[in-house]
Amino acid sequence: MGSRGAHRVAAAGVVAGALLLLVLLALPIAALVLRGGMTGLEQLGSDRELRHALLLTAQTAIVATLVTVMLGTPLAYLLARDRVPAGTLVGALLDLPLLIPHPVAGMALLLAFGRASPAGAALAQLGLAIVGSRTGIVLAMLFVAAPLYVSAAREAIARVDVRYESVARTLGDSPIRAAWRVTRPLAGRGLLAAAVVMWARAVSEFGAIVILTYNPKVASVLSYDRFTGEGLDAALPVAAVLVILALVPLLVLRSLRAGTALGEPAR
Amino acid sequence: MIEVEALAARAGAFELRDVSFSLPHGAWGIVLGSAGSGKTTLLETIAGVRAAASGCVRLRGADVTQVVPERRGVGIVYQHALLFPHLTVEQNVCYGTHDPQHAVGLARRLGAGPLLARGVRELSGGERQIVALARALAPGPDILLLDEPLAAVDPRGRTRLRRELRALQRELSLTVLHVTHDLGEAGTLGDLAILLEGGRMLQAAAPEQLFRRPVSAAAAEFLGAENVYAGSASPLESGAGDEPGTMLFRAGSLRLVGLAAARVPIAHAVIRGEDVVLARERAGTSSARNVLEGVVSEIVKHGALARVTLEVGELPLVATVTAGSVSELGLLPGSRAVATIKATAVHLC
Amino acid sequence: MRPLRIAPLVALLACARPDAAAAAGADTVVVFTAASLAVPVRAALDSFARRTGAVVQQENGASLELARRITELGRVPDVIALADQELFPQVLVPRAASWYVRFARNRMVVAFTGRSAGAARLTASNWYEVLARSGVRVGRSDPRLAPVGYRALLLYRLAEGYYRLPGLASRLEASTPPALIRPNASELVALLQAGELDYIVDYESLARANHLRFVTLPPAIDLSDPARVSDYARATVRIARRTDTTTYAGAPIVYGASVPRAAPHPAAGQHFLSYLLSPAGQAVLRAHAVDALRVPELVGDSVPPALRAMRR
Repeated sequence: MGSRGAHRVAAAGVVAGALLLLVLLALPIAALVLRGGMTGLEQLGSDRELRHALLLTAQTAIVATLVTVMLGTPLAYLLARDRVPAGTLVGALLDLPLLIPHPVAGMALLLAFGRASPAGAALAQLGLAIVGSRTGIVLAMLFVAAPLYVSAAREAIARVDVRYESVARTLGDSPIRAAWRVTRPLAGRGLLAAAVVMWARAVSEFGAIVILTYNPKVASVLSYDRFTGEGLDAALPVAAVLVILALVPLLVLRSLRAGTALGEPAR
Repeated sequence: MIEVEALAARAGAFELRDVSFSLPHGAWGIVLGSAGSGKTTLLETIAGVRAAASGCVRLRGADVTQVVPERRGVGIVYQHALLFPHLTVEQNVCYGTHDPQHAVGLARRLGAGPLLARGVRELSGGERQIVALARALAPGPDILLLDEPLAAVDPRGRTRLRRELRALQRELSLTVLHVTHDLGEAGTLGDLAILLEGGRMLQAAAPEQLFRRPVSAAAAEFLGAENVYAGSASPLESGAGDEPGTMLFRAGSLRLVGLAAARVPIAHAVIRGEDVVLARERAGTSSARNVLEGVVSEIVKHGALARVTLEVGELPLVATVTAGSVSELGLLPGSRAVATIKATAVHLC
Repeated sequence: MRPLRIAPLVALLACARPDAAAAAGADTVVVFTAASLAVPVRAALDSFARRTGAVVQQENGASLELARRITELGRVPDVIALADQELFPQVLVPRAASWYVRFARNRMVVAFTGRSAGAARLTASNWYEVLARSGVRVGRSDPRLAPVGYRALLLYRLAEGYYRLPGLASRLEASTPPALIRPNASELVALLQAGELDYIVDYESLARANHLRFVTLPPAIDLSDPARVSDYARATVRIARRTDTTTYAGAPIVYGASVPRAAPHPAAGQHFLSYLLSPAGQAVLRAHAVDALRVPELVGDSVPPALRAMRR
């Protein structure tokens, strides 16, 4: 076997490994959709609780994503341009929420923002509470998913040469204007991908949400509810419908990446 | 005008230190140095996109060290143009100005007219530099910083671009600071040459001065002096009429009379190849203080010129003469020859 | 980073088997316990392991979730122990288990913390006034999902009769809006401890397991006394679910346990359960504030011989 033969074997190995992982990921989803997909879609018409849960999930996940994009992008920018003192430490701290088991994360949020805490008391003044509310759902989603956004956004921004901004500065732009007119469009695809990842993570969250808000129910809580209350056959359609419906925005967003990105002229 | 005084700046682990020079209004300054010597860092500090660690930058007489780049009125063109990839050529050119007509006019003037509607990725190296130039000049700055603008351009484009640059500079009275590692560009364009090495400024002087009187052996070697000898010098004892500053230089068996520019301990003698005159025999008396005999060891022809290396004692001496002279004198490897060098052409540093 | 050097270490770690003892051939017992039973059963398991050298594995969780693990996911333990025997007839028998044993008493209590509103004045005789007050946040479990959820409602109805206050039950129910209903006791405890709830209505076993303060209610209403079956049965509640509606009547609460049909190590399971029900096991349970019945009651048929001796 010459080197060409060795190459073929190596290539086959790579393909086999990739296929294995794809199968590992796709099989459970296929099982879920095959077993519960039709029932779930049929149920959509009659099952008010299911419709409400899906709508609530979509709304809260979008809000959580928008808030994170607005607050997290400037942070990601500062981290990418190394303007944060002890940036490595800050970056590591930002990743910590990913390590915390989700129910524990929910309890941590309770400790920090519950009624008994100073922050919670302040929120109460504004008429906001995190327990049993949409605010709580958004907060839980944000806590577990924002680190994903900030990391990925930071990477996307760091890939844009800082000298573009330097040129824009000499052409009269303030730092914010330069970042907005030059870096944002060039990092656009990466930022969008990061937002998609965050949104997907928010939609799937359960452990942290259920500690704060059981009613009203998001889709993940509803599927757990149906499982414990009625059994597997009642839970699967909920999860299957969630997967099928989530596919639409995911595909749309991913196809946007392949086509025109934000701000780039079509070619 | 651009003035820097004891300027220092940091770029990652690299440090630029103690750079001082003064470039008058409307002049063309050249920054010379090998890769990693700090040329780009210097430009970025003058433009303000990099903060100075210490020292000061004065533009048009005013101290701008603390002024933000967007208010310094300085244009910058990077080596690879760095055109904004998400904008068309026209959008790039009009980026910094409120007067798109003027910007477009300027672009057309530089020859970028047919490129305006195109995307940036389709342009060649030379086209990109032209667009970058138009973009930098469109807001109407009177100071222009160029970071190796001709390096990525093909030879034919380079000549044209150099000519356009010179014409624009005169017309718009621009003060230009131009970074290059190409010595040829320094010679043809510069009013002031600044030599950087390892983050330090070695010398700032008119290009002539830089080449003829390099401040050190390192500078001399970077500047392409063909003959650099290490040795020692002492003041000349004999000869009435010798100017102070004239010294006798010894390197091995070599004896040279030359001029010392500065009161530093002399350790090197520098002779440019073109200052060495060759003959087959000693002439009678001449004004030249240095007459050396040796044997030709190598002749290398470059077009109309030839480099002749003469072994003088144990040291080589390189002479740059015309190829015609070589044939007229009948020089061949192994021939005996006499080299004559004026004392004024022997620079001691 | 030297990936080549790290790789063998990672591989070694991945192969490490924390349950190496299992390979040694000793008895293995897998036990599912309701969360509020975790600590007492752990103590009993440890004592059992010391005596017999068995390897014990314990999984804790919400009662209904544990039951679903068995019936829906096919993950079957050797012993399942719950704080309320109701789930056995409702979910586990006869599909997953054919018998079960009632082995300790439980009761409904009102648990709270030092921070709870009105806690300073709370007693066994005025608890319902405090809870029914507007602005007091009371948490309880979802009655559609957990027996303790509808037991709380039955408690309210019994209280209405006992204290002769018509309308008390609805007022008490109103002190828990949907936002404060939870599927599991674990969330209720977390919310109580965090100050989000003032009171929770749950089993005494849960209050003790989490070291919560609680008030013991009159036996006539707290579903604790097996002798008051007919009194308790006077209170009923209708729970409407998505697919059906069920009416529950009040009944005494007792802990239940069983060795499921498909247990992987049935002999070992019976062995442990016998130990738990023996005087020695009862002593361990009582040491952890579990009110163990002196004579456990068996329900169902095909009870294994080892346990049949306990039948009353």
